Order: sequence, then structure tokens, then C-alpha cells
Amino acid sequence: MTNDKATPASGTIMVVGGGISGLTTALEAAEVGYEVFLVDKNPYLGGRVAQLNQYFPKLCPPTCGLEINFRRIKDNPRIKTFTLSEVTNVEGSPGNYTVSMKTSPRYVNNNCTLCGDCAKACQTEISSEFNFGMCKTKAAYLPFEMAFPARYVIAPQIIGTEDAKRCKEACKYDAVDLEMETKTFDLQVGSIVWATGWEPYDAAKIDNLGFGQYQNIITNMMLERLAAPNGPTKGKIVRPSDDKAPETIAFVQCAGSRDENHLPYCSYICCMASLKHATYLRALYPDAKIYIFYIDLRAPGQRYEKFYKQVKADKNVFFVKGKVAEVSEDSKTNNITVIAENALTGEKIRQTVDLVVLATGMQPTAVNTKLPADLKYNDDGFIINDFEKGGMFAAGCANKPADVVSCNQNATGMALKAIQTLVKR
Amino acid sequence: MADTYFVEPDLDFIDEVSALGGSDLKKCFQCATCSVACPISPDTKPFPRKEMIAASWGLKDRLIGNGDIWLCHNCGDCSTLCPRGAKPGDVLAAIRSYAIKEYAVPKKLGEMVNDPKKLPILLAIPAVIFIVLGVITGLLDFTPGGSEIIHDHFFSTWLVDLCMIPASMWAVVVFALSLKRFIADIHANALLEGKTKKEKIEPIGFVQALIKIIPGILKHDKFNECGENQDRTTPHMMVLFGFIGLFIVTAIFFVTLYIFQIHGPYSQLNPVKWLGNIAGVSLVIGSGLMIKTRLTKKDEVSTYQDWFLLGLAMGLGVTGLLSEMTRLADLAWFSYTIYFIHLIFVFSMFVYLPYSKLAHIVYRTVAMTYKEYSERT
Repeated sequence: MTNDKATPASGTIMVVGGGISGLTTALEAAEVGYEVFLVDKNPYLGGRVAQLNQYFPKLCPPTCGLEINFRRIKDNPRIKTFTLSEVTNVEGSPGNYTVSMKTSPRYVNNNCTLCGDCAKACQTEISSEFNFGMCKTKAAYLPFEMAFPARYVIAPQIIGTEDAKRCKEACKYDAVDLEMETKTFDLQVGSIVWATGWEPYDAAKIDNLGFGQYQNIITNMMLERLAAPNGPTKGKIVRPSDDKAPETIAFVQCAGSRDENHLPYCSYICCMASLKHATYLRALYPDAKIYIFYIDLRAPGQRYEKFYKQVKADKNVFFVKGKVAEVSEDSKTNNITVIAENALTGEKIRQTVDLVVLATGMQPTAVNTKLPADLKYNDDGFIINDFEKGGMFAAGCANKPADVVSCNQNATGMALKAIQTLVKR
Repeated sequence: MADTYFVEPDLDFIDEVSALGGSDLKKCFQCATCSVACPISPDTKPFPRKEMIAASWGLKDRLIGNGDIWLCHNCGDCSTLCPRGAKPGDVLAAIRSYAIKEYAVPKKLGEMVNDPKKLPILLAIPAVIFIVLGVITGLLDFTPGGSEIIHDHFFSTWLVDLCMIPASMWAVVVFALSLKRFIADIHANALLEGKTKKEKIEPIGFVQALIKIIPGILKHDKFNECGENQDRTTPHMMVLFGFIGLFIVTAIFFVTLYIFQIHGPYSQLNPVKWLGNIAGVSLVIGSGLMIKTRLTKKDEVSTYQDWFLLGLAMGLGVTGLLSEMTRLADLAWFSYTIYFIHLIFVFSMFVYLPYSKLAHIVYRTVAMTYKEYSERT
């Protein structure tokens, strides 16, 4: 009995969240021989990384790395993925958990060839969550070009309508199945890794920064979508009010982060993200002027420091030490004026720009969606890893704000922790 | 070569500012939100971000002689938006308390006024002076008798003036001495920090600046720019106008007594009397509202200095009105006792004025005048 490790029920590792951390944990564990259930509430894997245009500091598209990971999953029979799925309950103890699952219907089965006929036939348009509502998408859609699993999704809003029927009729492969229902079932697992990730902090809560009040104030994640070739503007960064190419752009660092009234902690990635965004803009618009308002610029480590120095050397990027605390809009031009005190000169600055980007921080997903398991959280909602108790672990941004590199390192470590739980028994 | 600035931290200063209500000052991480959040901070060298770092570093000299600490009206907008809970509003209030003690001479008395343990002695001083002077001169009569209550028969008006005129002169002299240093210091600080366009202070221009800002002070313009605690405007106006009203009434009765030789008590129908009553009521209601706000608002620090001033304002108003009411109600001894206490409050107001928070009426006015004079925007 003790030597027999041939996939007992409790020999499986569940990974909740299919973003970069979850993918890594799942792959690292599966590739050394463990069974993995990979769960994601979205209809696709890849999480926040899938929404990015480029990684810092290498400025390469994340699609490349994701593609490799998806390939590895496809080739690995030990990973079973559950998309559109949520964990509703967890019972048991380390080595022996019963996980209750709920899978929502995708209304598209394995026959899908990505031909797109359903989307062509569909008339209803829904707001694209993937693009932060900046554009609409058909109610029969592919989340993004290289979505994995590579299958269309039909939004539940059109089920029961003529539109749904049109989609079904349009499909030559009998892939649209409008009879699909929500499924609930139980899974037996030995350990669970929570890689539930993060959400951009709701910028509308920062009332003095005008998001939601003025059109030309956007968030850093929105800029990421605007810059992405598969985004709502096909990679053209334009301002929302008039689709004009911005000539002056201000970045507001620590928008909600390091602030007791919002997120008291540093979100770790926003400084690097804004520096990266400066490179997007400078590449697109050679004459654009960029103003980065900061409290402290945090570019930890050699490689990030080097990246910061490169951006700093750009004569069109201006760094102002002082947090923006007030914004106003010119109602005619829709230009935004940001106000800060330059702490180095001791003068108040009123900088009028075409576009303002709020460098909003990350909030753990668990803050807004309580996880149905006995986990410990810190005051900010990040999961505290209780290695003494074991059995369940948090990886990536569910555990702390982090960049992709740290998430991957951390996720690899948590794969080992999950494996140890199984082996210890 | 760049200017070298040697920081010489005064650690005791940091501790004392902390004790005076600025205990969160070290939380500041210099994001400068406060300088923008402040609705009345100027564009050139705005406050209070620079004051926060100076306080954190214990740069006493940069702060007590810095006019900007007085431009602040403690509205709390900075503290509300502060991402660190460093409460710049309370820190500036604490620095002001420190500055008042620093400028008023003799310092020993300043320490007493700001020490709650010394309060009984401070209140005993006027009582002893009244009794000793009264007994020596015979102007204090413990058996006033008569069918009508006339406070003058118990505590002679001559005795009142014998005490109050020197007391008010005391305040004037102490302020004169303090202001001489204060004005020189805020000017030197403004030159150092590049906040002024004037090399020297021309007395005429300075007085013109003073005249220019007075309407704004009376209308509470700066208070009204405040976002967070705008409801403070009315109570503060009531207290300020209460004091002004009572000052006018006192001045008029002083003139009627010494020039027209008409003794009180005056008829309730007399318009000056009306003014006095309205001013008294205004003082009591205004200070009462302020006390209520301080008791209910927990996010703003309230220190002994705040309570001392509010207690004084409330005490003055209540004892003043009560001595009048008890006189009209024919409660002789009660009325005389209250009147005696009222005079203790009046005397305390004058003598302790330069050492208490009430001194803000002088320092803030001068600092605002200086800002106007220096043409800072």
C-alpha cells in the first residue's frame, strides 16, 4: 500500500486559477508525474497575462510564452482542465479533499474548428470584459485569438433567443449545443494550490483622480489592451474621447496603492508597467511627451533598474516626484490637467495632457469573491501560506503582489509543496 | 558645487510636537498629496509637505519661524487624503502650539499655560490678585447690601479696571515682544525658502496688506474654501464675532463710564446692552458647537491647548450671561460669586492670551498679512 502511488484519488493536485501562476504550478507538477486538475472560471486559460501587450523588461509579447505553456498542457495527459468552472466547496484535510465543482455551459463542444460562422451569424453584441468594456464583441465569440481551449463560447445572455438558433444553424460541424447545462460534481484531490490571481483595483473608488468622470483618464490595464494588436483599437493607442493620438500623456503612479484609504500596500508592478507603457507610446508616437508622477519609483533588481535607466535617458519622458492628488478636465478639449507638488523643487505643477493613465494596483481576487475553503488571509486579502498545516497553498498574486517572473518562481515552489503533501502520506 | 545642507535634528522637538498632537508625523512618506489637497496652499512652495519632512527631521528652526504653519486653517482636507494617516493637519496644529510657547516671554509662564497640572495655580493667580488688591484698596466689598444687585458695589469698577487695564497692557507688551522676533523670523524663512518677492519689510506696505486681508478674515474666506470640515465656519464665526461684539461693548461702556461718568448696570433696552447679550449668546453657542464637534470627531486630535481655549471661551460667555441673569433674578450672592468667576476668566484671557491657542488670532493674522505683503501666489 505504501509503495503504491499509481494515481490514487488523493494523489491528484488541484490548481485553482489558470493564469500564469496556475499554469506553471500545474505544468511543473504534471511534468514530474502527478495528476493535476486545472480549474479556471474563465472560458480560457492565461488569466491577466493573456491581456498584456508585452512583458517587461524584455518587451516581448506574452502570447509566445503562453503558447508554449498551452502546448505543454495539450501534450500532457496528466492535466485535466476545467474552464468556465468554479470551486464551490472544499472539505477534508491535507491528502484527502473533496472538492465540489460547478461548470457553466459553454454551449460549444469539441467539434468547434474556430471557423467563426457562429459569430458571423450572431447579431447580439456584448461588452467585451477582456477589453475592459472598451469595445463590444459578438455574443458568440472566441475570447482571444489564441485562446485555449481553442473553442468559441456562446454568452448565456442569448440562450433561448433567435440569435442562439442562428448560431446553431450557422455551424457546419454541429459544435453548437444549446442544450448544455450547468454541471455540478465532486473531485477527490490530495492537495490544492490556489492561484486565483488578482483584479485591477477599481479606479472609480479613487474619487480625487477622476476615473469614470472624465473620458480621457484610463487605467494601466486599459492601456495594455489599447496597445495590444488584438485589442479594441488594434494596437493604436488613442484617447477615448475623440480617438486622437495623444501628444502628451501623464502617468499617475500609486493610483490607489500605498494608500490607507485604498490599498495600503505597494502593488509591485505598476512602476515597471508605466515605464513599459512609456516605451509603447514612444515607439508609436516619436514626438509624444510623457510625464510620470511618482512617489518613489520602484524598479527592483538589476534588470529592472537597467530598464528604468533606459527609459529615463529618453528626453521626452519626464519624471516628477510628487503624487497627483487632483485632476480637472477642460470641457472643450477634453484635455486633463493633473496637479501635483514637485517635491524636489517645492512648486505646485499643473500639467495639462491629452491622456492620463492611472497606474492602478492589484487586489487579490479573493477580496471580492470569497474562496470556499478554510484559508488564512492577511488584512489585505492575500492568502497566507500555512505550511505547518499544509495541504492548501497560495501561488502567485493570490499570495502577494508580484511580477510574472516572481509568480513563476513562487508557483514552481508551490507545485513542490503540493507534491510534498501527497508524498508525506 | 551643490549647496551642502547639514541636517541638525532636534530630537526633543520631534518628541514635543508628537506630544502636542502630531504623533503620526513619522508616518509621512513625502508623497505630497497634502500640498495639493490643501485648498488654501499657495503654488509657490506649498505647505504642508515641506513642513512634514522638516518635522520628521527635527528641523525646529525651519518650522517655528515659518509663516506657512499659520496659513493653515486646520481644515483637515490634507489629513483625509493622506495615504499614510500621518495627519498633516494635526502636525501643523502641534507645531503652532510649540511656536506659541517659543515666542511668548517669559517662557516659564508659557510652560504653565500649556500644562494641565498648572491650571489651578493659573486660575488662583487672578483670584488672589483681586482679593489682595481689593482688600488693600477697599474696592472689594463682601457686604454690598442694598435692595438692588449692583456688581459695582461688590467688586468696584475701579478695581476691575485696576486689574484689567494692566492685564490687557500685559498682553499687548508680550505680543509686541513676540511679534518683533516672529516677523523677523518669518521674513528670514521666506527669503531662505524663496517664498517672498520683498527684500525688506516696509511698515506702510505691511499695514496696507493687513487692511487688505481683514475683510477676508471676517468673512472666513479661507474657512469656506475647506472641503472636509466646512461646518466649522459658523461656530468659529460665532465665537470671533462674539469676542468682537463684547470688545465693542466693553469699549463703549468704558467711554461712557470715564467720559460721561455714567455707571452701570445699564438698562436692558439700551442697544449696546443688546449687542452685549447677543455677542455673549453667540460666544456660548459657537464654543458649545466647537466642543461638541471635538467630542464627536475622533479622527482629529484634540489636545489640552484646544480644550483650554474652548473652556475659556465657553467660561467667559457662560459666567458673563449668568451673572447678568442671576442679577435680574435677584439671586444676590449667587450673582456676586459668578461675577467674581467671570472676572477671573476675563483676567485669564488677557494675561494668558499670548501663551494659549488664542494667540493664533495674532500670529495667523500676521502670517496672512506677510503672505499678502510678499506677493506670493
